[in-house]
Order: sequence, then structure tokens, then C-alpha cells
Amino acid sequence: MKLKHLILSLLFAFAALTSTVQASEGHEAAASVPAAQTQNAAKVYEEKSVGQLIVSFFKTTGLNAIINPKEGVKNGEGKNISLFAQSWGRVLMFAIIFLLFYLAIAKGFEPLLLLPIAFGGLLANIPIANMTGPHGMLGIIYNMGIANEFFPLLIFMGVGAMTDFGPLLSNPKTALLGGAAQFGIFGSLVGAAALSQYTGMVDFTLKQSAAISIIGGADGPTSIFIASALAPELLGAIAVAAYSYMALVPVIQPPIMRALTNPEERKIVMKTTRKVNPLEKLIFPLVVIMMIALILPDAAPLMGAFALGNFAKESGVVDRLSNEMQNSLINIVTIFLGLGVGSKLQSDTFLVAESLGIMVIGLLAFSAGTAAGVLMGKLMNRFSKEPINPLIGAAGVSAVPMAARVVSKVGSEEKPGNILLMHAMGPNVAGVIGSAVAAGVLLSIFK
Amino acid sequence: MEYSLVGESLKFMILGMLIVFVFLYVLVEVMKLQAKIISKYFPEKEIPVSTSASSTTDTDEEARRTAAIIAAVTEFRKKK
Repeated sequence: MKLKHLILSLLFAFAALTSTVQASEGHEAAASVPAAQTQNAAKVYEEKSVGQLIVSFFKTTGLNAIINPKEGVKNGEGKNISLFAQSWGRVLMFAIIFLLFYLAIAKGFEPLLLLPIAFGGLLANIPIANMTGPHGMLGIIYNMGIANEFFPLLIFMGVGAMTDFGPLLSNPKTALLGGAAQFGIFGSLVGAAALSQYTGMVDFTLKQSAAISIIGGADGPTSIFIASALAPELLGAIAVAAYSYMALVPVIQPPIMRALTNPEERKIVMKTTRKVNPLEKLIFPLVVIMMIALILPDAAPLMGAFALGNFAKESGVVDRLSNEMQNSLINIVTIFLGLGVGSKLQSDTFLVAESLGIMVIGLLAFSAGTAAGVLMGKLMNRFSKEPINPLIGAAGVSAVPMAARVVSKVGSEEKPGNILLMHAMGPNVAGVIGSAVAAGVLLSIFK
Repeated sequence: MEYSLVGESLKFMILGMLIVFVFLYVLVEVMKLQAKIISKYFPEKEIPVSTSASSTTDTDEEARRTAAIIAAVTEFRKKK
């Protein structure tokens, strides 16, 4: 039946086409209508019965696309989507996305980013609509600011405008704790390489391993920046892992912190921080930029945006700009960043063994970073004249200000009234600089 | 594969941690230096505590202010 209809309609279409072409040739040869145009016109309308209309409408529904996957359907980047990814893959992705919604809304997991990311993923998995294509909404957003690594920089500008370097300036040596925690990045780089070399479960290249390992920096914008530069195909999984684990900092960190320290160390009370001269705060972003310029120009985009935000805040004369960076701008960019990252949560790119590997390595990265920071804290406590509570080392894994709050909480559990928050903010903001430096090193390697 | 993934990544680790520590160490020293310079040549002006303000406020105002502070502190403690 169907076949007969099809053949008939094709025949009609062909007949109509040939007759119009002949007519146009005969009557107005001078203003000859291009053949392609007449062909289109013939395609646009042909007589259909109500039954045919219903059948052809059903063929355009997503339900049909999910039930009857076809070979040769292409995704936004023009790659073929496998039959599984078209059918069950999409269903599975919808389930994963609803889980993300649940985590963001009911559990409060970094909702500001996880919610738009998950919604972007929801839209990206709508069949036929092709929203991730070059003319789809998500595709436009992705190409506008993520493919060229622009949005993460704008976020970094806002983060810079929100960051107070006072605690770090008042106790400079705590910056080294922020450095030790970057072991999370490089340790998991080795982990990712070992996983693909020895187990064969996943097959990461060096570039991909580097992009994954940056999750250990516990810094969302940096992760997205590096992932889109080194391994855009893994961006979705990397961003989701980074933000989920950042939300899980209060769960992941305390057991590691307790395991590596004894109660005496956790009870250490640190000296109250000295007051910082505003001039020091004003000069600091410039100092950082000069050092980046001299030592590591590859980190210049990240640190440049960061320092600009901080300089605008500390200058005290451009409050309007600084407020804009901290509020409206960062909010707008967060929406776009989330949707753009979500566009990488398509079933065909996300439902691969690699994503699972990324989740495992991300967890490893966070744990290694925390552990390295705490161990460095113990080391510094041994050799420093002033007592240093090793717990503050855990705050070295950026994740501002969550990690610092966790440190303060664990510290005051051990000794009520021992407020470590300000002391932990030092390594915390140094961790942001440290992970930007680590990111710059990784970028410089693959240049 | 011409190179060992793990071998290469170990080298990256050495380079990366080295650069991160060197960078932050230099930063620490620069921070100490700038603190020294600034506190020597541009000491922060002590903002004189105005005593005139307290003399003009009557005891009633003072009492109300104390009450407000106590209320705020108890509220803050309750939240904790």
C-alpha cells in the first residue's frame, strides 16, 4: 500500500515537474526560471488525502524518530548518529537529565550552572529539531562563545571582581598550599593516561587526558576553557563532572582531611591575620599580570580576565563596571555557558565509556588535590615558625568559597570557636591562580 | 603508539608541578616584598576615631544601639 502511494506521488511530481519545465522553456525563454526552483515548488505541495497528511505528519514527530531510528541521521557537527543513540540513547539521556534537574533543584548541586546545562542537554536531545546544528539555538550559542573559549573568560572576569585577595596578602606563604593542591590535576593526568594505557577500558589521547585532568583544578570556567581548547568532544562530560564534584566538595573532602590529620593538628589555632593595606590589594592584580607576562603567557587569557575584574573592584573608582561584572554580566554569561555546554550532552557524544572514565578520574582528581593540599599543610606546619593548621591545605583546590567553608566547618567541629575561614581563603584564592597556571602549562605543552 | 602515555604524562606532571610551585613561590616573595615596601613608604593613614560623635549621642541612643547589637548577635547565634 505505502509503496504504491509513494510511487504514484513520485510519478505525479515528476510529471508536474517536466510539464512546468517545458512550459517555461516554451513561453518565456528569456526569463527562464531555474530548474531547481521549479523542482522546489513541485516538492512543496502536492495533493494529499487526510490519511496521507496524518501519516506524513507522524513521520515528522519525535516519537517516530525515537521508535524508528534511521541510518544516516546527522548530528549538529554533521556526524552520523548511531541507531542506539537515536532511540534508547535519547531516552537514557532524558533520564540522566532529569537526574541532573533533581540534583540541581532538590539537592542544591551548583544549581546556577547545572540547571542551564541540563536544560541545554534536554534541548540538544530533541530529535529532528537539530538544535545543536549551526543554525540551531544551542549551536549558535556554542559557536558564539564556547568553541572560541570566550564565555569562560567572561565568567573569570566576574570571579575576579568577586575575589578578595586580602587573606592571601596577609599571609602570603599559604599560597604554596594552593600550589600543592594542583597535584590533583597532574596526578589525575597520570591516572587518565594509565587508565587508557593499561586497562583498555577507555582510549584517551594525551590531549584528552590533559583536558580531563583539569577537573582537579576544581574550577568550572578553567575546566571549560581547557576542554574546549584541547578536547571539545569531551566538553559535556568534563563540565558535568567538574560542577557535580564541586557541589560534592562538602562530601568528598572531610573524610580525606580527617584521615590525613590527627586531632591535635586539627585543633591548631592560627594567628589572627594582619590588616592589609588597600594599596597592596590594588597592586596585586598588576603583579600577577606582570608575572604571567614574563613566565607563562599561555595563561594570559584566563589571568588577564581575572585580574581585570579584581583590579576594577580594588580600584574603587569604577564600581559601576565592577558591579556589572559581578552581577548582570556573569549572570547572562552563565545562562549562555550552561546552554552551550548542555549542547554537548547529546546521546551520541555523551553515552560513551569515556564519560564514565571521566567521572571516575574527576573524583580521583578532587581527592588527590585535597590530599596533596593537606599533606603540604602538615609539611609547612612542621617547618614554619607560626603554627599552620594543615586543614587549610584542603582549601587549595579552588572551588571558592565552598572549600574554605568546609575547612572552617571541619576545624570548628574539632575545636569549637576555632574559625579557620579567613585563613583558608588564602590557599583558596591561590588555588584559583594555581589552576590557571597549571592550565597555562598544559596549553603550552600542546601548542 | 610511539610514546608511552604514562611516561609522557609523568613528565608533564614534573614540569607542571614545578612551574606551579615556582610561580607561586615567586608570587609569595613578591607579596612579601610589596608589603614591606608599601608599609614603609605608603603607610596607611590612621583614621582618627572621632570622639565628638560619641559625646553628642545621649545615653538613650547608646542603650538602644546596645540593645540592637545584642538582638542581632542572639539572632545570628540562633541561626547557627
